[in-house]
Amino acid sequence: MNATSPTAAAGLRNGAAWVAHALEAEGVDTIFGYPGGAIMPFYDALVDSGLRHILVRHEQGAALAANGYARASGKVGVCVATSGPGASNLVTGIADAMLDSVPMVCITGQVPTSLLGTDAFQELDVFGMTMPIVKHSFLVRKVDDLPQVLAEAFRLAREGRPGPVLIDLPKDVQVGPAAHLPAHVPAVVEREPAPADAALAEAIAAIAGAEKPVVYGGGGIALADAVDEFRQFVEASGIPTVLTLRGLGALPGNHPQFLGMLGMHGSRAANIAVQESDLLVVVGARFDDRATGKLAEFAPFARVIHLDADAYEISKLRTADIALPGDVRAGLRALAAAARSYSTNHAQSDWRQRCAKNRERHAARYDAPGQDIYAPALLKRVSELAPDAVVACDVGQHQMWVAQHCRFSHPRNHLTSGALGTMGFGLPAAMGAQFACPDRPVVMVSGDGSFMMNVQELVTVARCQLPIKMILLDNSSLGMVRQWQELFFDKRYSEIDLSDNPDFAALARVCGIPATAITQRGEVEDALAALLAAPGPGLLHVKIDARANVWPLVPPNTANSQMLESNPNEQKAESAHALPA
Amino acid sequence: MRYRLDLVLRPVEGALVRVIGMTERRGFAPRHISGGADAGDGRWRLQLVVDGSRPAETLKRQLQKVYDCESVEIAPLETGAQEAA
Repeated sequence: MNATSPTAAAGLRNGAAWVAHALEAEGVDTIFGYPGGAIMPFYDALVDSGLRHILVRHEQGAALAANGYARASGKVGVCVATSGPGASNLVTGIADAMLDSVPMVCITGQVPTSLLGTDAFQELDVFGMTMPIVKHSFLVRKVDDLPQVLAEAFRLAREGRPGPVLIDLPKDVQVGPAAHLPAHVPAVVEREPAPADAALAEAIAAIAGAEKPVVYGGGGIALADAVDEFRQFVEASGIPTVLTLRGLGALPGNHPQFLGMLGMHGSRAANIAVQESDLLVVVGARFDDRATGKLAEFAPFARVIHLDADAYEISKLRTADIALPGDVRAGLRALAAAARSYSTNHAQSDWRQRCAKNRERHAARYDAPGQDIYAPALLKRVSELAPDAVVACDVGQHQMWVAQHCRFSHPRNHLTSGALGTMGFGLPAAMGAQFACPDRPVVMVSGDGSFMMNVQELVTVARCQLPIKMILLDNSSLGMVRQWQELFFDKRYSEIDLSDNPDFAALARVCGIPATAITQRGEVEDALAALLAAPGPGLLHVKIDARANVWPLVPPNTANSQMLESNPNEQKAESAHALPA
Repeated sequence: MRYRLDLVLRPVEGALVRVIGMTERRGFAPRHISGGADAGDGRWRLQLVVDGSRPAETLKRQLQKVYDCESVEIAPLETGAQEAA
């Protein structure tokens, strides 16, 4: 909070300088961007500000770096670009933040207000373009509107279910006199009210009376800063727990009640438990189709308790029998307090034992035959060697292997593009995470398809000497697309060949980053140790079997009980209900 | 199902586009739109008639999240005719 009186004039010479001042007053220390014509007054103001600006090599890198910064820190990520193509290049990163509820403020330059609507040079209606992918947006037409806009932008980005807010700044607003504007004062961010007492009481009774309850946790747990409360509730209740992709880490990966991720590439133990449960306690999750599989057959025997900060999500896809809209943290505290009174005498022990047995029975195996490097085993080893690392990944097969085989001690340690599935997310997100957490190890895991989508940011990593450890799993193809073509398109392979990839290690070295390449299983241990021990950035290029698939797999629009087996030569569907206890 | 929406919007740039766009994106087809800025407070009073097969409550909650939308009421239309059919 700025100590200056809100009524005192900030005394800054123009709107751009006032915006830079407001960012500092909001606690922003690092912003990611790329200058250009319509945003030049703001860049001029940066010269005199205390903000650290990270010059990326493509605006999408700026948006995704700010996105990663916000995910890792919980603070608002800020990115800046000029009008026109600068603004449109931000779009994917903004959309990614919207779909994964990441707090961001995105500032774009704009042509002067007198030229708006005239097809001026680099004029683009980014305000209109981004309406479906922002929590809110502002086109600032007067300098005097800046105080309210900046305060509301940061409040909205943070409050309730977070999200991105766009501020479009015409050039004349940036250069307009601002000495009369007051010093910026951040708006108060309020938490959602706690869920209603009556509904909580109903939920507590339902949990106490359930025979096969399952907790289904998602990204909303970390968004509400409710990881501790979630763990307290889970442990006090003793209920077996599954997590979504974005919920991973809400329970430690080795927690005895954690059955794994649910859904398309979830663990068998998790999917079996959900399909058999008689009560789902859903916390900060939204019944995404990748989690539920065929919705009509999802958890067919379960009543649903749904606790979420966003009332809209409740009964959107699956009707909640007991709706708990409101503050997730407050709701979990109430549930945990109640659970402590019945956890020792509740008759759910058979169910817990069955879930624990399934967890053990279906644990991942790492003894794949052959000498090819087995990506799941490598990723498991990464987690063992760097247990507290922030792991940013890209999108595709490697993303699912990270989710399945890395162990996370907190959701903020796992940066993954969940809802949008943005290839190219990993490298800039890792950059943002490393700026947010300079003393933490940051590991980026990517695939050869995804990595090339924002490969230009290698230069930013080198320039800033960010000690990111990059692991590039290379199967010379678009692996997830190839897997689907193999399984669901009669092996009619179409445009998935990347066998002409560049020499990734050489590419990294050209950018100033030390790199090594490995092809054999026996090289993994030493290569990982060397990568993680090196002081600065480094890239490990890992050649893996191009035929490797991600298992288990629930085919699209299929019930989660129908999981394809892991043996690609003997693929078979097996009903969860047919499994022996 | 056909519904009538009564919306009150802040008189700011983009508010109309936001609520109409949200309505369409969430699966409801506008059939009739009327309204205007109130001479007194400048706020938009907007009436939409929409068709959609999804629960109206989900659209109401989504519109309530639009920052410029100050209030939203949704009422079913032609329910008797629908049931008779």
